[in-house]
Amino acid sequence: MNISIYLLLWLIPLVLLMMGVWFFRSGPGSRWLAGKKINQRQLLEDALKLIFNLQQDGRPPDKFRLAVELKLDLPAVQALIARLEAQELVVAQHGILSLTTEGQRWALQVIRAHRLWERYLADEARMPLEKIHSQANLREHHMTVEEVDSLDAALGYPARDPHGDPIPTAAGVLRDLKDRTPLNEMKPGQRGRITHLEDDTPLAYAQILAEGLYVGQLISVQENNRERVVLSDDSNQFVLAQAIAENVSVHLEAPKKTADPSIIPLGNLPSQLQAEIVHIDDRCQGYTRRRFLDLGLTPGTMIYPELENPFKDPRAYRLRGTLIALRHNQASYIWVRPLSNEIQ
Amino acid sequence: MNSTLTPQAVLDRAESLRPKLSSGFRDEIVKSLYAEVERITRRSVKIGPKKKWDFDQKIDRLVTSPVLGLLIMLLILMAVFWVTIVGANVPSGLIADFLFFIEEKAADLFTNIGFPWWVTGFLWHGVFRGLAWVIAVMLPPMAIFFPIFTILEDLGYLPRVAFNLDWLFKRVGAHGKQSLTMAMGFGCNAAGVISARVIDSPRERLIAILTNNFVPCNGRFPTIIMLATVFVAAAFPPLVASFVAAGTVLGVVLVGVFFTLLVSWGLSNTILKGEASAFTLELPPYRRPNIGQILYTSLIDRTIFVLWRAVQVAAPAGAIIWILGNIFVGDLSLAQHVADFLDPLGILIGLDGVILLAYIIAIPANEIVVPTMMMVYMGVGMMTDIPDLGSLRALLVDGHGWTLLTAVNMMLFSLLHNPCATTVLTIYKETKSYKWTILGFVIPLALSFLVTFLVAAIVRLLGGG
Amino acid sequence: MVKRISSPCADCPSNVDLEQMGVKLGKFDRVVALAGNPNTGKSTIFNRLTGLKQHTGNWPGKTVTRAEGGYEFNGVKYKLVDLPGTYSLLSVSQDEEVARNFILFGQPDCTVVVTDATALNRNLNLALQVMEITDKVVIAVNMMDEAHRKGITLDTRSLSRDMGVPVIPVTARTGEGMQTLLVTIADVINGKIRTKPLRVEGSVEMKHAVSELSTQIEKLYPNTPNARWLAIRLLDGDERVEKAILSGEIAKLVRSQKRADIRFSKKMAVEGHQ
Repeated sequence: MNISIYLLLWLIPLVLLMMGVWFFRSGPGSRWLAGKKINQRQLLEDALKLIFNLQQDGRPPDKFRLAVELKLDLPAVQALIARLEAQELVVAQHGILSLTTEGQRWALQVIRAHRLWERYLADEARMPLEKIHSQANLREHHMTVEEVDSLDAALGYPARDPHGDPIPTAAGVLRDLKDRTPLNEMKPGQRGRITHLEDDTPLAYAQILAEGLYVGQLISVQENNRERVVLSDDSNQFVLAQAIAENVSVHLEAPKKTADPSIIPLGNLPSQLQAEIVHIDDRCQGYTRRRFLDLGLTPGTMIYPELENPFKDPRAYRLRGTLIALRHNQASYIWVRPLSNEIQ
Repeated sequence: MNSTLTPQAVLDRAESLRPKLSSGFRDEIVKSLYAEVERITRRSVKIGPKKKWDFDQKIDRLVTSPVLGLLIMLLILMAVFWVTIVGANVPSGLIADFLFFIEEKAADLFTNIGFPWWVTGFLWHGVFRGLAWVIAVMLPPMAIFFPIFTILEDLGYLPRVAFNLDWLFKRVGAHGKQSLTMAMGFGCNAAGVISARVIDSPRERLIAILTNNFVPCNGRFPTIIMLATVFVAAAFPPLVASFVAAGTVLGVVLVGVFFTLLVSWGLSNTILKGEASAFTLELPPYRRPNIGQILYTSLIDRTIFVLWRAVQVAAPAGAIIWILGNIFVGDLSLAQHVADFLDPLGILIGLDGVILLAYIIAIPANEIVVPTMMMVYMGVGMMTDIPDLGSLRALLVDGHGWTLLTAVNMMLFSLLHNPCATTVLTIYKETKSYKWTILGFVIPLALSFLVTFLVAAIVRLLGGG
Repeated sequence: MVKRISSPCADCPSNVDLEQMGVKLGKFDRVVALAGNPNTGKSTIFNRLTGLKQHTGNWPGKTVTRAEGGYEFNGVKYKLVDLPGTYSLLSVSQDEEVARNFILFGQPDCTVVVTDATALNRNLNLALQVMEITDKVVIAVNMMDEAHRKGITLDTRSLSRDMGVPVIPVTARTGEGMQTLLVTIADVINGKIRTKPLRVEGSVEMKHAVSELSTQIEKLYPNTPNARWLAIRLLDGDERVEKAILSGEIAKLVRSQKRADIRFSKKMAVEGHQ
């Protein structure tokens, strides 16, 4: 018996079957199956979003910019623009494109979907922040208005995406947030809350995240010169190059009298030491935050670490008469003020 | 004004009010509720000096302590399995004897009345025998395992196990409670899949559901024990043989745990990374379990429930096996033909066609793998068992060319292959999604072929096998 | 898995009045919902009352679909619905949605919130949330024996005064207090006990937004009993509530509530004459 022939007889259909399943379920075939229409629509939506963003930034959108940003050749861009015009989404004047009312409505819809997905991925799926932008780019298309609405509702109608950009409302209103002072324009001694982290340049964004800065963080500038900006948030110091610092925007706040060094993350609270919850960090959002609140982790509540797992993480905390286990990274979102009296 | 008020206007008003509220509207609600609760309880609840608390705390310290805690956990789990396996042996045998006795008598009766042989065979040696086999193998271990497990659950010990092991599961992106769904999976994978409800985070729950199959349920355990005894332990002197057998079974379980963690890690970093995720685990106070209620519920809710589902699929499987074994094309039975056709693929992964045939037929219920295999090997017309290990070994090794590789690969295949029909159905019921159900079937199947193929290839390369 | 238990439970303290029934008993006069945090012994109370041996374990999320059973007390047939154990009714998890929607749209005649006497300052949070939706609430403080062992003393009278609804201490394991609980449920339903649930106002800006919106809802659907709650849900973004307001389902709820009340009071009047 010639085994190899039998093997081939078996293996080839098996491999073909597996490839076929992959191709139509998640590979290129799935998009082909869904029809070319959606592909076209995706391109259309990307173009609308791009034109909107260019307009916002004050850069006149023309076919060359579109070609560069969408990675298309000129004939393809021209065909695209022709389609946009035919659908009355865009009007061209002297080669400069501008959105019609309908075009703007659609563009805002896509931006809304994008930023809501970013919120979802960051809060509910707890995906690393540097990864959410590309994922949201995939998910923002193929959505009906109703689907976007229910996503919005499920997330509790958030006002901003995780980078601090405003999310358009269902009516298509893009709230203008004026509270943005670039970090590199701040003077030493000034305080403020971070309101926006620019994610257009992925490298700079990754570096900002690696430093540990986040939207909602309260910082004060200690040093600002040609080379670098030094800031601190009471417990840590951050050093950023000027090129990086310009990607961080801050809402200025009145300088606080004194820092409160007695407030520490719950994760660092020594065992058996009682503490009072001060607040839950802004980084902790979505399901986890709601669950924390539902469990009674509200400001003013007494809490202490009662049990440690054999591997030190998670720990179980006694609060409101019950024992709740939290992982270390979760517990560091909860800020507490240790009290002097020890349990037992 | 009043007359123009429409439902839509109210919704629009809500939308325009929303941005004016502080961003943490939900925070605000919960905070004010809890503030009120604090105010009220301060007035009406008086907490005296602590007394009883210390007892709970001492136990907690003990069961979560670094060395002793893990040791206690291991001992308890091993004790549960030992009691289940050993305790189930005798009743399993009795039930089997009884049911097969009925089968024999009923078949005789049918023959005497004058029914054609194929009616008798199909009904009694096919359908009934399939049922009998599944019940005999499945019922006793479940009737022992589930009550014990429920007692541990009601005592409040199981959440501590989840607490102890969370460290491990966190590393692969899963939830500590998955350890409990796995433990439940030893009883029955379908029950394990259902128990994944205790995980309230969608992503971790899906991981627990899709990987539960890598824990051998008690339909597969006997096969693994049999192989470990006959092939691995037989090479050792009798004195250490049983230890070797136990060690081998433990090894297989550990391989299963390894693949559970590996696949969990893979899933959480690929297809599941966009699913919602969170971690909470409450450690309830220790409470005295209500034994009567436990016996009732674990028997009714779990054992009978699972058994009933298995019976529904075992009867048709029994019928199919009988048909395959009794319809002849040329000199060979249908079963033999199918086995011959499957043979090359089987050999490729270190098994043979008969084993693969048995696994295909056993998709409804894994308990019937070995009896189906024996039926084809011995060329008889109904599922058969060989109680004597010596002659079993002789049949497999001398008669059908089994080697150590065949045995090891069959253990691996049994551990990793696709879940049984009941489990697949349960996955669908729990996830309501074809996508996850198909994945829950395909991932283990692909993995089982891959692993056994690699093992076979390596052994053959090294000149073994 | 529900089964009819034919033998009456021997250790029940109230064998005379409480006829235990399986779920399949035809018509029910009243529906009582059972809500509560996980680990509060909700299922034990359910089993006590209905005679069903239901196991829900120590875990949130065990009862993903709701369990139902029934009992008869003083000639009135009650259907008891065991809702999933939840910490709150505000989140989006499946369990909480089931519980929330049942209390709002299922319109139970009375909702019993089961709490753990040893963890009241956590459990009452849920009670307050249920009291936002419905007036007909009874709080059962379970595990009184355990509280006693731990040296916790409760003033249920003051608790009841503060919450504005009856608070009944029970120990479901032994059956203590169950009789009082049954009487109280009946009294709340037939109006002998008038509840005046405590409603939490919250911060100033929240109060304004909620009261403005609830005024509008009341204008739109007069006699809505829980306009405040609906307003909160709208602000929080609850699609189910949005849909119910758009479709006019809310108005229907109000009407059906009234009809049921009339029917029941007639029945009570007839029985009262016997």
